[in-house]
Amino acid sequence: MHSSFSPSRIWTLAMATVTQLLRMKIMAFLLVFCVIVVAAGFAFPVMNPEQQLKLLKDVSFGALQLFSIVMAVCATALLLPRDLEDRTLYTILAKPVPRHEYLLGKLLGVLVLIGAGLILMDLAFSGVLWLRQSLVLAQSVNALQQEGTATPEAIAQLQAFVGKQGLTWNLHLGVAAIFFKAAVVTALTLMISCFASSTLFTIVISFLVTLIGHGQGLIREYFLTGHAGAVKKGLSALLAIITPDMGAFDIVDNVINGQAVTLTAFGFMATTAGTYLLGYAVVSHLLFVEKEL
Amino acid sequence: MKRPLQALAVLLGLGIAKLPLEQACTQHLRQAKLLSAPLALGLRENLSQMGFAASLGGLRSLVASITYLQAYHEWENVNWAKVDSLLQLTTSLQPGYANYWDDASWQMAYNAASHYLYDEKLQPLVRGKLYEEHVRRGIAILKEGLRYLPDEARLWNSLAEIYERRSHQPELAAEAYLQVHRLSQNNRYWRFAAYQLAQSAKPELWQRAYTMLRESYQSPKQRTPSLIDTIKKLEAKLNIPFPQRIPDTTPLMQIPATEAGPTR
Amino acid sequence: MAADSPQPPAVAVENLTKVFKAGLGKAAFTAVRDLSLTVQPGEVYGLIGPNGCGKSTTMKAILGLVIPTHGRTAIFGRSSTLVESRREVGFLPENPYFYKHLNGLETLLFYGRLCNMKAAELKDRAREMLALTGLEDAADRRVSGYSKGMLQRLGLAQALLHQPRLIVLDEPTAGVDPAGSRKIRDLILSFKSQGITVLVTSHLLEQMQEVCDRVGIMAHGQMVRQGRVDELIAVENETELVLADASPELLAEIRALVESKGQGAKVVRSGHPRTTLEKLFLEVADQ
Ligand SMILES: Nc1ncnc2c1ncn2[C@@H]1O[C@H](COP(=O)(O)OP(=O)(O)OP(=O)(O)O)[C@@H](O)[C@H]1O
Ligand SMILES: [Mg+2]
Repeated sequence: MHSSFSPSRIWTLAMATVTQLLRMKIMAFLLVFCVIVVAAGFAFPVMNPEQQLKLLKDVSFGALQLFSIVMAVCATALLLPRDLEDRTLYTILAKPVPRHEYLLGKLLGVLVLIGAGLILMDLAFSGVLWLRQSLVLAQSVNALQQEGTATPEAIAQLQAFVGKQGLTWNLHLGVAAIFFKAAVVTALTLMISCFASSTLFTIVISFLVTLIGHGQGLIREYFLTGHAGAVKKGLSALLAIITPDMGAFDIVDNVINGQAVTLTAFGFMATTAGTYLLGYAVVSHLLFVEKEL
Repeated sequence: MKRPLQALAVLLGLGIAKLPLEQACTQHLRQAKLLSAPLALGLRENLSQMGFAASLGGLRSLVASITYLQAYHEWENVNWAKVDSLLQLTTSLQPGYANYWDDASWQMAYNAASHYLYDEKLQPLVRGKLYEEHVRRGIAILKEGLRYLPDEARLWNSLAEIYERRSHQPELAAEAYLQVHRLSQNNRYWRFAAYQLAQSAKPELWQRAYTMLRESYQSPKQRTPSLIDTIKKLEAKLNIPFPQRIPDTTPLMQIPATEAGPTR
Repeated sequence: MAADSPQPPAVAVENLTKVFKAGLGKAAFTAVRDLSLTVQPGEVYGLIGPNGCGKSTTMKAILGLVIPTHGRTAIFGRSSTLVESRREVGFLPENPYFYKHLNGLETLLFYGRLCNMKAAELKDRAREMLALTGLEDAADRRVSGYSKGMLQRLGLAQALLHQPRLIVLDEPTAGVDPAGSRKIRDLILSFKSQGITVLVTSHLLEQMQEVCDRVGIMAHGQMVRQGRVDELIAVENETELVLADASPELLAEIRALVESKGQGAKVVRSGHPRTTLEKLFLEVADQ
C-alpha cells in the first residue's frame, strides 16, 4: 500500500521551497535588518536610558514583524501560481505525491524559512540590545560615581532596573508570538492562493484579511456582547467567523514593556495558532485536491 | 463543485468553533497583562480608537516610539502645540505605558509653562495666563493617564508635584500624595501629604495634618527636620496645649544615603 | 483486484469526456469527448492528431492531473484518482519545466526523493540518466540556463529515473535535434524490448510509424481511427512495390507489363513512397 503521508517527501518538498526562496535573495532583508537595529541602538543618544532601550526594542520588533508578515504573504503567494505557470506542478504531481503532501511541503518550507529568519534576527537583535544595555548601565554607574552616590545598593538597583528593560527570556517568547502570527498568515495565504486566479489577488486579499484580523477581537466582542441591530450583528458575526484573530498574538507591545509571558499564555497562543493552521490546511486541501492544473 | 462547497463549510465551521477559543485566549492574555484591556471609553469612541490602534497590530509600540521622537524634535524647535499633539498621539497609541503620560504632562506643565512665563516678548498678563493654561493641560494629561493606569504611583506622584509646585493647590496635592502612599506604602508620601495639608488655607485641614504628622512622629526613623519643623509650626497655629507638644530636643534621625531626593 | 483479469491493461481509458469550464458567462469547452482506449502491457501506443485535438488533455487525465468530467482512467488497473496509480509511471509533459534554481543533477535528486528512492541508489541512477540523455556536461548548471531541447532531455531523464513500468511521453522529440530525436526513437524501441509499456504522442509521424505497435488518431477530442499500425496503413486493394536503384527503362517495362497483362490492374501512381501514416493523418484531419 502506498503511504499517503510521508514525512521524507514533505521534507523534500519543504527544502525545495526553502532553496527556491533563498535563491530569490530574500535573506538580503536580514542585512537590512541588522543595519536598522544597529542604527536604532546607537543613533538617538538624547533620550533617557529607558526610552533608548525601548526604542531599540520597538524598532527591532517592528522589523521582525514586518519581515515575518511580508514573507508569509508574499513568499507564499508566489509559490503555487509559479509552480502552476511554470508547469513544474505537472512533473511533481505525476510522481506518487499526494496533493496534500505538496501543500504541506510548501507550508512547511515557508515556515522553516520564516522561523530561521526570525531566529537569526533575534540573535542579532539580542546582541545589540545586550551591548546597548551594558553601555547604558556603565554610563549610569559612572554618573552615580561622579555624584558620589555609587553605593552597592544603588548599583544593584540600577542593574535590576536596566536588566528589566534589557535582554530577557521574555523577549524571545515575544519573538515566538510573532512566529505564531506569521504561521497563521502563511496558512491563510496558502489557502487563498488555492482558489485565487492571480498572485496579485492573493497578496491583496491576504493583506486585507490580515488587517481585518487585527480588529477581529473588537468585532467579535461587539458581536458577542454588543447591543446592535440584526444587520450589524450579522455582519460582525460573519467578519468574526471568516477572519482569524491576529490581535491575539500581539503581545509584543506589552512584552517590550516588561510583562512576563506565562506558560499558559504561551500554550493558549500555540493552541490558537495550531487550530488555525490545521483548519486552513484542511480547507486548502479541499480546494486544491481537485484543482485543474 | 462539491469540493469548494465542502471547503466553505469547513471554513465556516472552523470560524464558529474558533470563537470560544479566541475569546478564552484573549481573556487569558488580558489577565496576564500581555494584551491591553479594552479602553474604558464609550463604545463608539472605543471602536474608533481601538480600531485605529488595532489596525497597526503589533507595530503600535514602534509607531508610538516614532511619534515620541518627533515630539522630542518639536521640543527642540519650541513648538509646544506640536509637542502636545504628538505626545497625545503617542499616549493614545500606548496608553498603558506610564512614561509617555509622565513625559507629556512634564512637557506641558513644566517646559511649556515656564517657557511662556519667562517670555519677555509677551505681556505679563498674557504670560501668567499661558502659564496657567499649560499647567492645567499637564494636569489634564495626567488625569487622563490615571484613567488607564489608576494604580501607577509614578503618575500620582507627578500629579502631586504639579499641584504642589506649579499650580499651588495643596489640598489636591495632598490627595495625590496619599494615593502614592497607598500604592507604594512608602511613609515618606504620607508625610508629604500632611505637609501639603499644613500649607492649606483651610484651618480645618491643619488638624488633620497635625494628626497625620504625629502618627509619623511615633517612629523615630521618620523624625526628619521638616517633620519636626512642620509639627512645631502646626502646634503654634493650632494652639496645642504645651504638655501635648513634642519636645524641643528631639534627636534628629540619621539620613541614610540611599534615600534619594530632598529630605523632607 | 478482479480475479478474472490477471494482467490488467497498462492504461485504460473508458468513455473519457473532459469539459473545461470557462469563467462566468462564457461557454464551456469540450476538449475530449467520449474517448476510450486501452494500452496492453509491453505495447507502444501512439496518439496522434492535429493541434488542440485533446492528446495532452487525455494524458493529463491518465496521470490524474485533470479530473475527468465523465468516464474513468486507470493505470495497471488502479484508478488515476489514486496516488498509488502513479508509482510505476514516468511522465514527460509537453514543454516540461523545472525549478530554475536547481541544477540538472539536483533536479533529478529532487524527483528521485519524491519517488522515495534510496539516497545511494538515487545518486547512481541520476548520473546514469544524465548520461543516457546526454546531459552529463550540463549536470551542474542551473536549469534556468537550459535550452528547450535540454529541458526536454531532462524531462525524459526525470520520467525514466525510477524505472517505471509505464512511460507516458507527450511530444518527447519537440525541440530536440535530429540526433537526439533518433536517440529517443531508439530508446523507445529498447523499452519495447525490455517489456516497458509506452504511451507517446508526436507530430513526427515517420518515427511514430516505426516505433508504435498501435496508434490512435484523434480529432476534435474524439478517437477517429485506432488499430495496429500495419493494419491501419495497409490499403486492401493496393499493393506497394518499392524499388531501389531502378532505371527508367525498368520502370517503363513494368508499367507496360501491368498494362498488357494486368487483367484490370492499373498503376495508380508512381514516384517516391509517402509515409502512409502521414497520409492517413491528413485524410483524418481534413474531414
Ligand atoms: N486548462 C484548460 N482550460 C481550458 N481549455 C483547455 C485547457 N487545457 C487545454 N484546453 C483546450 O483543450 C483543447 C485540447 O488541448 P490539448 O493540449 O489536449 O491539445 P493537444 O492535442 O495536446 O494539442 P498539441 O498537439 O498542440 O499539443 C485545446 O483546444 C485547448 O485549448
Ligand atoms: Mg499537446
